[in-house]
Amino acid sequence: MFDSVEKVRESLAAQGYICDAKIATVVFLANRLEKPVLVEGPAGVGKTELAKVVAAATGRSLIRLQCYEGLDEAKALYEWEYSKQLLYTQILKEKFTAVMAGATTIREAAEKVGKEDSVFFSHHFIVPRPLLKAITSPEPTLLLVDEVDKSDPEFEAFLLEVLSDYQVSVPELGTIRATRRPLVFLTSNNARELSDALKRRCLHLFIDYPSAELEQRILDTKVPEADKRLVEDLVAMMQRLRQLDLKKVPSISETLDWARALLALNATELSEDLVNQTFSVILKYEGDVRKAQGELSKLLQRKAAEAEAQAPSRAAAPSPGAVKKGALH
Amino acid sequence: MQKKILEFTNILRKSGIRVSTAEAIDAFHSLDELSIEDRGIFRDALRTTMVKRGEDVPAYDELFELFWSGFYDTLRQAFGQATQGLEALGMDLEQLMQRLAELLRASGGELGDLSELARALLTADLNALEQLIREAAEQAGTGRIENFLQVGFYSRRTLDQMGLEGARDELRDLAARLEAAGLSAEEAQALQRLLEGLLEAARRSVRSYTERELQKQNHDYMEKFRRETLLEKSFYHLSEDEIRRMREVVERLAQRIKNVLSIRRRRLRRGKLDLHQTLRRNMSHGGIPFELVFKQRKKNRPKLVILCDVSSSVANVSRFMLQFMYTLQGAFTKIRCFVFVAELGEVTDLFQTGEISDSIEQALDGGGVINVYTRSNFGYAFHSFWQNHLAAIDNKTTVLILGDARNNYNDPRAWCLREIHTKAKNVVWLNPENPSAWGFGDSVMDRYLPHCDLAEECRNLRQLSAMVDRLIL
Repeated sequence: MFDSVEKVRESLAAQGYICDAKIATVVFLANRLEKPVLVEGPAGVGKTELAKVVAAATGRSLIRLQCYEGLDEAKALYEWEYSKQLLYTQILKEKFTAVMAGATTIREAAEKVGKEDSVFFSHHFIVPRPLLKAITSPEPTLLLVDEVDKSDPEFEAFLLEVLSDYQVSVPELGTIRATRRPLVFLTSNNARELSDALKRRCLHLFIDYPSAELEQRILDTKVPEADKRLVEDLVAMMQRLRQLDLKKVPSISETLDWARALLALNATELSEDLVNQTFSVILKYEGDVRKAQGELSKLLQRKAAEAEAQAPSRAAAPSPGAVKKGALH
Repeated sequence: MQKKILEFTNILRKSGIRVSTAEAIDAFHSLDELSIEDRGIFRDALRTTMVKRGEDVPAYDELFELFWSGFYDTLRQAFGQATQGLEALGMDLEQLMQRLAELLRASGGELGDLSELARALLTADLNALEQLIREAAEQAGTGRIENFLQVGFYSRRTLDQMGLEGARDELRDLAARLEAAGLSAEEAQALQRLLEGLLEAARRSVRSYTERELQKQNHDYMEKFRRETLLEKSFYHLSEDEIRRMREVVERLAQRIKNVLSIRRRRLRRGKLDLHQTLRRNMSHGGIPFELVFKQRKKNRPKLVILCDVSSSVANVSRFMLQFMYTLQGAFTKIRCFVFVAELGEVTDLFQTGEISDSIEQALDGGGVINVYTRSNFGYAFHSFWQNHLAAIDNKTTVLILGDARNNYNDPRAWCLREIHTKAKNVVWLNPENPSAWGFGDSVMDRYLPHCDLAEECRNLRQLSAMVDRLIL
């Protein structure tokens, strides 16, 4: 499917996801080596987005498993549909009596029922959850395990079997092997340290905040209607903000939100009022907003200085102050 | 190539990046799929298969640069300098070499008569030189280099192994022969200059190779060394720089404790079977308990009240303890902080807003509530607490006192501490002094000791982090 790293980059770009060589390399390797990818990084840099885009680019259907504390086997792997089983038992009551009609002892009756018990623990009554769905799906799939660091350490144990051998063991049915290996993406916000066994089985991708150049390209692709000047100002501002010691550092998704917000306000460049109005789009804590305001004034001052330097013609005109002085004397 | 990658893996392991055998195999597989020509892709492929922790990435990048050298570039630079000397004499290297070759042939000799090293030097064959230097270095045992003082030793051994002296003699002989064969005076001088330059370049290259080996083997050594001593450094005499570094170490330790804490907490959650909830949950199954519900154990987070002596003798202990406690804020339902020297004042608000480090500095400065330029008076401070703030303590509260109990011969008023002890769950005292000094001079630690559940010496970071472990876990 992907012939080279460049091809990967192109197909991702075609889907609207601009990335650097590192990400493309890992996606390429994951595809070729059939290994899962563990994507780590701060919130909002596009980890989940990457999985979605790769699914679209490779034509695989996306199966998503959102992890949370207390996620267990029943919700992630499979569940038996007890109510259905009970219902069937009720409906087939007569059939049961018929089957056991010939039996004279309890043992015989039990054996007769025993021969049929595989009916009740069969594929009819199993409810496949995302992991099992990904394994047994007839078409190619991409399994996205989102925020795996929010789950319990016990949950990682279920994942291990799926990730290493692409098979699931159901005690009653035996081992179910994958007909077609899904591509697996795991995302993590680094809230806790994942177990080594899990990490070992995956290729590791750390997505950091984008560089100025990359951010600009992303903005150009995603928000093409925005003014050139605005985009430059935005990128410069965001890069500066990330250097500050903020509680929640804004990432690329905040930049996109901000660009769209400013576009909605018909802005062509950044000004003090505009920024003050829209700060809440990128900074979610009061303390951060206060810190950032200092940065903002510095940036705008510099912009003003640059603007003046580029307009020397204005300096040539006589200032009204000089005229006044002359008048006094 | 395989060998090189294995070597690289070993270097990574030495500096603390854990690479398992399976991961190394993955790395090889990944290289099968990719073309190795692009350095960036090569680096990314190795990184994605071998480095699984975000914090290891910078170390990996550095080691990658060191290992997959630019040694070739170093060689080129060194030899470039050697040939530069020629230009000063107005001679062109190409011409000179051609002339030499002619003369040599004319006198019945061949360039092939020279030893490998001499030939490589003369023709500035950098690839061959790199190979020779590497082999010689390996045979000289440069991989075992441990510290900077050994660079000279190992460089010399490598040069000996290479046979540089022999090559020098050969080249001199060659020069002599060429002169006899009819080299002009200028050319002879140029040749002389060139040869000297080449030999010097060779020496310098070997030295720089040895230095690189040192860097590779000891990448983490200095860092580890510094970290170890920081843990042992007494809080009393810290420079600005050390305070800053300690802050980072404390940050990392606190983070680690936070991680352990969240795992521990989760395991304690399940209690006994909750019958009512189980039946209710299984109504849709006719009351048959397919799904079990367990009682949630109540969260066990204590409340913390910190009493900090902010006089200069104890300032550093207070500083780092506060940093620990506030970074681990999640472990406590509520933290209330009081500072005292003689007067006592609450500084909890300082920590609500603002940065942890700024708030700590402000608190240590008195927090605007007390005067720090007085003599310590623990008795007065405890009395003041008992009078005004005893309500802050209930039977779930842990009271943490940081101070050296040097009371300047004032009234200790130990009864206040007794009252506090009766009300609180436990009282923990951290004293930067050695227990043998407790009770001597103006220290009234012995009077306070009976009312403390735990009293420990806390003189350096190691003891401090051990205490934090005990308090929290």
